[in-house]
Amino acid sequence: MSKKFSIVGKEVIRQDGYAKVTGSAKFADDIIFTDMLFGVMVRTHVVHALIKNIDFSAIENNPALTTIITAEDIPGAKKVGPIKKDQPVFCYDKVVTSGDVLAMLVGKDESELRKLVDNVKIEYNELPVVTDPENALNDNTPLIHPENKTNLINHYPLLKGDVKKGFAESDYVIERRYTTSYQEHAYIEPETVIAYPFEGNNGIKVIGSIQNPYTARRVVSEVMGIPLADVRIEQAELGGSFGGKDDTMNILAARAAVAALKTGQPIKIKFGREESIIESYKRHPYRLNYKVGFNSDGKIKAMKIDILADGGAYASMSPFATWRTVVQATGPYEIENVETNVNAVYTNNPYTGAMRGFGSPQPIFAQESLMDEIAAELNISPLKVRTINGFKAGSITASGQKLDEHEVSFNKVLEKAGAESCFNVKWNKYRKENNKIDGNFIIKEKQKSNNFILNENQFIDPENTWRRGIGLSVSFRGCSLGAEGIDAVTAYLSLQPDGSIHLSCGLAENGQGLRTTFSIIVSEVLGIPIEDVHYLNLDTGHNSDSGPTVASRSTLMGGGAVQNASSILKERLKKVFYKYWNINKDCNLIFNSGLITYGNGNKKITFKELCSLAYNDDSNMSTLGLYAGPKVDWDEESGQGNAYFTYVYGCQVAEVSVNISTGEVYVNKVIAVHDAGTVINLLGSEGQVYGGVTQGAGFCLWEELNSEEGKIKELNFDQYLIPTCKDIDEIKPFFVEGNEKYGPWGAKSLGEPTLELTSAAIANAIFNATGVRYRNLPINLEEIILLRKLRPDNLKRGSA
Amino acid sequence: MIPDLEYIRAIDLNDTLKILDVKNGKVKVLAGGTDIITGLQQGFSRFAKIYKLLDIAQLNELKSISINEDSFEIGAGLTFSEIIANNNIATAYPLLVKAASTIGSVQIRNRATIGGNIINNAPCADSLSPLLVYDASVRIQSNKGAKEVLLKDFLSEAYRTNLEQNEIVTHIILPKILKTYIGDFYKLGRRRGVAISRLSLTVLIKCEKQIIEDLRIAGGAVTPVAMRFTNIEEMGIGKKVSNKLLISLSQEIGRKVLKVTGLRWSSAYKLPVVQQSLYQLLVNVCKKLNGTNVA
Repeated sequence: MSKKFSIVGKEVIRQDGYAKVTGSAKFADDIIFTDMLFGVMVRTHVVHALIKNIDFSAIENNPALTTIITAEDIPGAKKVGPIKKDQPVFCYDKVVTSGDVLAMLVGKDESELRKLVDNVKIEYNELPVVTDPENALNDNTPLIHPENKTNLINHYPLLKGDVKKGFAESDYVIERRYTTSYQEHAYIEPETVIAYPFEGNNGIKVIGSIQNPYTARRVVSEVMGIPLADVRIEQAELGGSFGGKDDTMNILAARAAVAALKTGQPIKIKFGREESIIESYKRHPYRLNYKVGFNSDGKIKAMKIDILADGGAYASMSPFATWRTVVQATGPYEIENVETNVNAVYTNNPYTGAMRGFGSPQPIFAQESLMDEIAAELNISPLKVRTINGFKAGSITASGQKLDEHEVSFNKVLEKAGAESCFNVKWNKYRKENNKIDGNFIIKEKQKSNNFILNENQFIDPENTWRRGIGLSVSFRGCSLGAEGIDAVTAYLSLQPDGSIHLSCGLAENGQGLRTTFSIIVSEVLGIPIEDVHYLNLDTGHNSDSGPTVASRSTLMGGGAVQNASSILKERLKKVFYKYWNINKDCNLIFNSGLITYGNGNKKITFKELCSLAYNDDSNMSTLGLYAGPKVDWDEESGQGNAYFTYVYGCQVAEVSVNISTGEVYVNKVIAVHDAGTVINLLGSEGQVYGGVTQGAGFCLWEELNSEEGKIKELNFDQYLIPTCKDIDEIKPFFVEGNEKYGPWGAKSLGEPTLELTSAAIANAIFNATGVRYRNLPINLEEIILLRKLRPDNLKRGSA
Repeated sequence: MIPDLEYIRAIDLNDTLKILDVKNGKVKVLAGGTDIITGLQQGFSRFAKIYKLLDIAQLNELKSISINEDSFEIGAGLTFSEIIANNNIATAYPLLVKAASTIGSVQIRNRATIGGNIINNAPCADSLSPLLVYDASVRIQSNKGAKEVLLKDFLSEAYRTNLEQNEIVTHIILPKILKTYIGDFYKLGRRRGVAISRLSLTVLIKCEKQIIEDLRIAGGAVTPVAMRFTNIEEMGIGKKVSNKLLISLSQEIGRKVLKVTGLRWSSAYKLPVVQQSLYQLLVNVCKKLNGTNVA
């Protein structure tokens, strides 16, 4: 690298780490007001019904109850939503999913309130429950939201070239179907929010575990019918989000706000784990049908993709998440003829929305599995089939975007990952060792007279039961919001007379380490120790709306704004320096180690002194920095356009062991190679990789929610299994830093790419180990052995 | 939500027995609480009519370990962490310690007691199959006196034992095992850490000149109550170790489990896997026997 930095790219310990590890950090539930009341939810007992009557008479006079909040108490909008306003703050006419809330009991003692919940009598007119997204659009299927006149949330077509012609010209055409399951964010801190009215009930303050304070502000403002400026949202320390503390938290903020203004007292709402899992949204389960035509030399000629996303009961982020899907569904490959259709539909299932990856982990699982299926069909290496088709500088994407504005590092990440993992050698070795297995361990279930007693030749010697395999996957990912929306961020920087610094930004610290990353940027530009940068909490009253903290855009967009603010103040400080040393023209000053130096070093001043001078000189020592993304465009009819202004590339290689007697899969090693542009904080970047790979492995092997007639069965972490440190061995991050013109010194995105690749890499490794292609996530014990999901359907149920 | 309960902290064993004898209504003895507290939280029906919890976690009388001439006595109040850390137990009953170290997480093992694991009698309880293989008994005490009952007779049905309301289990008695026995414990969970058993198996073999002199097999999470597979043991005893024999023993566990449980939704997975797991456990154990050639 030619870039020379003093702190950028080094290992910097996160600023909030010590407080969080020692327990002194204040999360929302640690905040207590003396006259605080609690809000407890009255939830629906059914999944889909018209509400006939809610009868509170049995509890109305209970001393534990201060008041009851229902939709009738809402002064403004009764329904909210990021795109379609279809989600009620409190249900009043209809319930459409098991997490729905009809009322909130408010009082001093939370546990007393919880005892009252069951005494609220609710009468329903039950309606048929729609759980299968494949049936959602049938004529006779009940409408979830009748006012929409359809259960379709959105349909995105994409057309490039002529797939018919492409298939006709192909030597091979194969069709494959893949499915993915729900994924729960599993943040360690469940939802918590506190709202209190400003003096004289003039507006409302909300403190909470909120991912997107400006979105929460908009929702509270809509629901209360008051101006944005009358709502102040402050982010408490947040215990994980992964995209999950958006819609749910905004609605909780609105519920607390309604109650706070009604009672004039602070209201706290906090969820336990079960409530969190019942009401919060999940990752969309996808059904993906891929048809691909290719030639015997490995070149892909045409791809036709049909994807169905289960949006659940509310639209939430479905239109945006599935838009990313349609842009990226063909993967990082140049394909002449493409036809993609992505539908998101309403069902009565738990609703689905944003989660780390945001519409990319599902198609990548399918399409990167498919690449290996093509390789297997042609008997060529997985590396080769990708090299033949992969993006190069100037390639045209499925949406017709020419990739000539950034460094296309597809080959760079693929080669690095291949070399670091000895991919070809290992892949061939394992294939040879596992040749004889070829799925012969799968239990074939006969009809009826099945006693499941193994034949003598089915018993596997313990020495042969663990099979090793290696697999890889590659992706490209559009950075930031793309054509989803307005893309600009501001950061506030303020120098104090003693040289210490206040910094804040309109983007939120959601655990990703943004505070540390942004402080590094200030430290680098102004040449001061990072300890002198004091990061301020995000309060919507102190910053300007910078859009949501999503889409791995913090470092790229927020980092750009911080760099801009730092440069503005640096220029001002230079002027003070010139004045002090009587220099009449612009010249090269060096800001380093808290010292500003000119020339051979005889003209210098400490940063602290310079700040003091600036203060006494009546200089403006505070500024807002701005970073706005270049324009992008999209045509909804054809699915063509420049979807994102830049992209990142990544390649992960997974090595696994599969126990073909029990179906157990152990992840021995994951090599993660990412071109995220310039790395700002090496420690933070490695942390992103460790977390993302682990969450991606969970998506692949363990995590699953089953709903019984729309009700989730796995309500806590005894049933909903996320990986532990014992389930995955070594994770090895590598960063290849390509050239990039956007972002601070060319830093781009990393958070989501780390997760989106892992499932396909593991599935491909399992194929290498067993000769079996598993197309339905999660690939759990039973899936490995039976090639199906084992669920308590017809036979007698039991714990054994 | 945990209902309102009366909480009583027992002073000593006498006090415990007095409270159990006198008080009417349901008093539930609380040791580590890793089953009861979570069960109350989830509103399990078997904890529905509990009004009082009697905490015995602090009673040192239930944490004693004594080594007699022909047996070990292990206090029922010992936590799994305490059992794992005890060298005497590890040397004499390694399979119990191996099983104990797979239970829950470090935090669970620091609270959960071996007595609690027995009384709760979950189908997936991990300590039961090694205890059964070691022919463990439980010492039961009430105000009227003490008695010893074989563990296999004590476990009645899933989540139930033959313990009376006025009794508690004070110790687990393990007969001494000859050094010539070798064995192994295997647990399969959905993941490797903090995992509930999908199945567990314990095997103990005594072999002389490749002839099986004694064979003990017990399983957890494959039948409603952890049990010894005596018919399979009998099939093996007196026979020469061979691959064919181990296969037929393993097939038999499939038949036996099917007979006990009937065909269940999980049978398609569990029955083949219990056979494979037993086979591999037997092969691995037999490979450790001197001069035994399995193939």
